[in-house]
Amino acid sequence: MLVSQAARDEAVAEPARRWPRGVPGSRALVIVVLLLIAFFSAISGKPLDGLLLLLVAAALGWDARRPAQGPPAAGDLPAGPPVPAGPPVPAGTEAGWARPGEVARAAARASEANLPALLRASAWLLGGAAFAVVAGSFGRFSWPATIAVVGVGALVVLAGWRRPVRRQAVPGPLPRAGLLAWAALLAGAGLWELRALFSQPSLTATSYAHPTISALADPVLAGPPGRALVLAGWLLLGGYLVRR
Amino acid sequence: MNSHGVTLLGYLVILLAAVLLGVLGRWTRAPVPPLGDVLRRIMRTRTGRVGVLVGWAWLGLHFFAR
Repeated sequence: MLVSQAARDEAVAEPARRWPRGVPGSRALVIVVLLLIAFFSAISGKPLDGLLLLLVAAALGWDARRPAQGPPAAGDLPAGPPVPAGPPVPAGTEAGWARPGEVARAAARASEANLPALLRASAWLLGGAAFAVVAGSFGRFSWPATIAVVGVGALVVLAGWRRPVRRQAVPGPLPRAGLLAWAALLAGAGLWELRALFSQPSLTATSYAHPTISALADPVLAGPPGRALVLAGWLLLGGYLVRR
Repeated sequence: MNSHGVTLLGYLVILLAAVLLGVLGRWTRAPVPPLGDVLRRIMRTRTGRVGVLVGWAWLGLHFFAR
């Protein structure tokens, strides 16, 4: 994540204004949402989900009330002006001054540098596939499946806690209408799922007339192949998110 | 249409709306940001990052953990 020098200087010079001891609004909103999901998970017969969400909500609240010590990590600073991505400049060249031969040599060097990255990506993909197959072979809601999923989930959340895994340019101001459309879609999906949940005979008994997404997923997740596929998709989504 | 069909239709509409927003954001000049940009914007702070990642972790827990 890239941050303008002005924003960084301002945050260092005036930590009290940038980093109040109270819980900021957006953080409070996230904590409230986490607490609500924790509550509904717990009363729906998923106490472990509820407990983990409760822990994360408490950790965020604790983090907000900690006195600021030194400049905050770059990932916690508000976004500065957008940084244009621009075309990549091959290593070893200076825009506007490279001779054609130098550009070709620099491109070749960049290609060689990408080889370890390709190997790393292949290793991650193979590891993820192995995890999906092994964890998918465990029964749903069994302790081995629980340990596998909780372990990976906790690792990813911890990885994202301190700083972004990969630095990326923050997009500039986004169109408000479009943001509202995405927010409305998310809220609508949540409300529709809640409507189905509360239309069931009880919170722990599924209903054919008002199926939740979980109930619709049951046939797919009944066998190891379906579970492995869904776990692979979950891992890919996690990999995508952690690189945002 | 019975209640089952109405519920499924609701999920289908939500899915199609998500696809439509994704297409508008990625391949047209409509004032709709791509989902990736929205997520990057949300995840520029620790709270946003942790919130999104916990949401993802919760999905796995919900479908597989006891």
